[in-house]
Amino acid sequence: MAVFTSMVYQNEYLGDGSTDVNAIVRITCSEAGAAGQTGVGDVGEIVIVDTSASMGLVNMQAAKDAAMVAVDTILDGTFFSIIAGNHRAYLAFPRVVSGPGMVRMNAQTRADAKLAIASFRADGGTAMGSWLLLARSLFRSIPSLAGRHAILLTDGENHNESVTQLEASIRACLGEFQVDCRGIGVEWQVSEIRKIAQALLGTVDVIPSPRELPQIFQELITRSMSRGVPDAALRVWIPQGAQIVFVRQVSPTVEDLTHRGTPVDPLTSTYPTGAWGDESRDYHISIRLPAKTVGTEQLAARVQLSTGTAILTQGLVKAKWSADPSLTAGISPEVAHYTGQAELASAIQEGLAARAQGDDRTATQKLGRAVQLATQTGNAEAAARLERVVDVADAATGTVRLKKNIDKADEMALDTASTRTTRIRG
Amino acid sequence: MTGFNHRAPGVEWSAASVEATIPLRPVEPASPYPSACVSCGGELGIDGYCLQCGQKAKSLREHYELTPADWVAGVCDIGLVHIHNEDALACQADRTRAVLVVCDGVTTSEASDVASMVGAQAACSMVWGSNPQGTGTPTSRAAAIEALLTQSVVAANQAVIDSTDPASRNAAATTIALALVDGNVVSCVNLGDSRVYWFPDEGEPCQLSKDHSLAQDGIDSGAGRAEAEASLFAHTITKWLGRDATDVTPYHRTTTVTTSGWLVVCTDGLWNFASEASAMSELLGQCSGEDPTPLGLASGLVAWANGQGGHDNVTVACARLVTAGQGVAPSSTESEIPTAPTPVQP
Repeated sequence: MAVFTSMVYQNEYLGDGSTDVNAIVRITCSEAGAAGQTGVGDVGEIVIVDTSASMGLVNMQAAKDAAMVAVDTILDGTFFSIIAGNHRAYLAFPRVVSGPGMVRMNAQTRADAKLAIASFRADGGTAMGSWLLLARSLFRSIPSLAGRHAILLTDGENHNESVTQLEASIRACLGEFQVDCRGIGVEWQVSEIRKIAQALLGTVDVIPSPRELPQIFQELITRSMSRGVPDAALRVWIPQGAQIVFVRQVSPTVEDLTHRGTPVDPLTSTYPTGAWGDESRDYHISIRLPAKTVGTEQLAARVQLSTGTAILTQGLVKAKWSADPSLTAGISPEVAHYTGQAELASAIQEGLAARAQGDDRTATQKLGRAVQLATQTGNAEAAARLERVVDVADAATGTVRLKKNIDKADEMALDTASTRTTRIRG
Repeated sequence: MTGFNHRAPGVEWSAASVEATIPLRPVEPASPYPSACVSCGGELGIDGYCLQCGQKAKSLREHYELTPADWVAGVCDIGLVHIHNEDALACQADRTRAVLVVCDGVTTSEASDVASMVGAQAACSMVWGSNPQGTGTPTSRAAAIEALLTQSVVAANQAVIDSTDPASRNAAATTIALALVDGNVVSCVNLGDSRVYWFPDEGEPCQLSKDHSLAQDGIDSGAGRAEAEASLFAHTITKWLGRDATDVTPYHRTTTVTTSGWLVVCTDGLWNFASEASAMSELLGQCSGEDPTPLGLASGLVAWANGQGGHDNVTVACARLVTAGQGVAPSSTESEIPTAPTPVQP
């Protein structure tokens, strides 16, 4: 049985007249168990492989190898299916036209699935929205599923659907399943794929070389199979008269959840967090309260993790008004760190977006700020990635020059990794 | 002013029945928390905070309200800064009689929160449980009442000593101020710096008690009140209840009231802000709304003190005394003393 614990990091002291309370709530899950084997329901896994013409021989072969490794890694008993996607979505395995669209993994289905994968060939265009909608139908065909996860591999832009079509498909899949997205090569759009991954509670990353693909698929499936808690929600209670300024996951990646809340009652909202394995996630909660008399103590938020109606852990965010500046002046180091990391993520994304539009001035300024923040918050990974895109004159002041020749893969790697945060040092 | 009118079940010191004359027992509330939020009336979470407004719940020792009759009420509150509520409140009332007691435990002594509670209850139950008439003449009766009140302070002292850990190196100490209303006669005793004030609707307000403190000593030797009360040791009390007390002879005063008004018994958590009777009278006017109930007024004064920073525990007990028709009715004729609260005349 999974055990959840929570820790709250904050300076609970507010000066006279102050209203905003910020806290980092770290939620940790242990003893999660294996997906589908904890008695809370079955799990389903779908592998979606781009089989458009642009994949070509090399990438297609790598994708086939990777899909087979994925099939090998999916635990026996797990419901699964394989989707081949180009400008249409094909159910490659199991080969059924009606009824349940997923089968349980065993030696026979594993062998049959590999045969189906072996017959993939690169042809046609790209319509990822249709792939997602097929995945949704397949998951829905197995009512016993408590956890639903997919991996999606693509190599190109979503040529055969409009932005609106893709967005409508993403919306239709909200809360239905999680999807980790991987892009191979440099012809795909990070922002397009990130939209899918963020909405469907997954990750996005670039795979520079086809050789790495099988290992990456294995890691993704292994991680998914280790998530014994199929679906949990973050619940945030605030007192009457208060308002949520933002709710943000800040570790392992920055994800703004503010507008993804579903009200439970007038004071409580839930935010989707998907499946949990043995891991910690940090959330930055910012609440605005009506100012109270110095000396008053109250709760600013109850931050809970829940599955269904069961509350598994609760962190208390407090507010104590004080006239003592030695208490009220300090910012919690965790809050400061993650505020910087969140700004770092947006500085990188905005900088790269500006560069793509030819606005070098904004790009230089934003990426300079990113270098400064990466240095200040000790995010060595981001600092290293930034240095492949800009020449750093002075990291402390954020003085940089855009490189003349930027490797597209480096730029995409910087973009996809921009939301990844580091934990506070010490 | 709307009163909170919150009453927790199982609070044995809130003698709800005006008939109750049984001695009060030591209090061990079944639940350490009241059933609802003192601030908004919302349900309390098991985490000790209100499920509605988030206010930190005060335990029944940290905040409680008593309303023994519709003309008598009190509020005892921890304030905003202290970790313990070392103030205590006890009161009893029926149609014509009321006992109001406040105690203020000395913070620097050990377990003074226990001492103040047992002291207040012991004195209150002794005075409430006996109704001495003397030989029947007013003078004899007054003497008998004075003797009872003095005796109740001794009983309170004994209760404090009995509750003190014999091993304590810094024995608990507490002040006491007690007022007995019997018809139109108000008798009070005090030890230390908790006070009794009388605020007639017409006429000069006055402080009925007299502090035992270095500030009062200064005033007695000719210093001005403001100067004396601002001095470093102003709050050092010279008499108290407790094992280390050498003299528990209280200051005593009896007065006959001739006009309607408010009787207020309070700790320094309130009077620190308005020491002079006239200043306190202004504060009363400020904190009493259109039609103040005793609980509304006591709550209002406590809330006001907390609004000033809540640096100390604060306890306020109020009784609304109303005279019937012309003059003041004799206390022996109950029917002539309507005791329902009436508005304070501006």
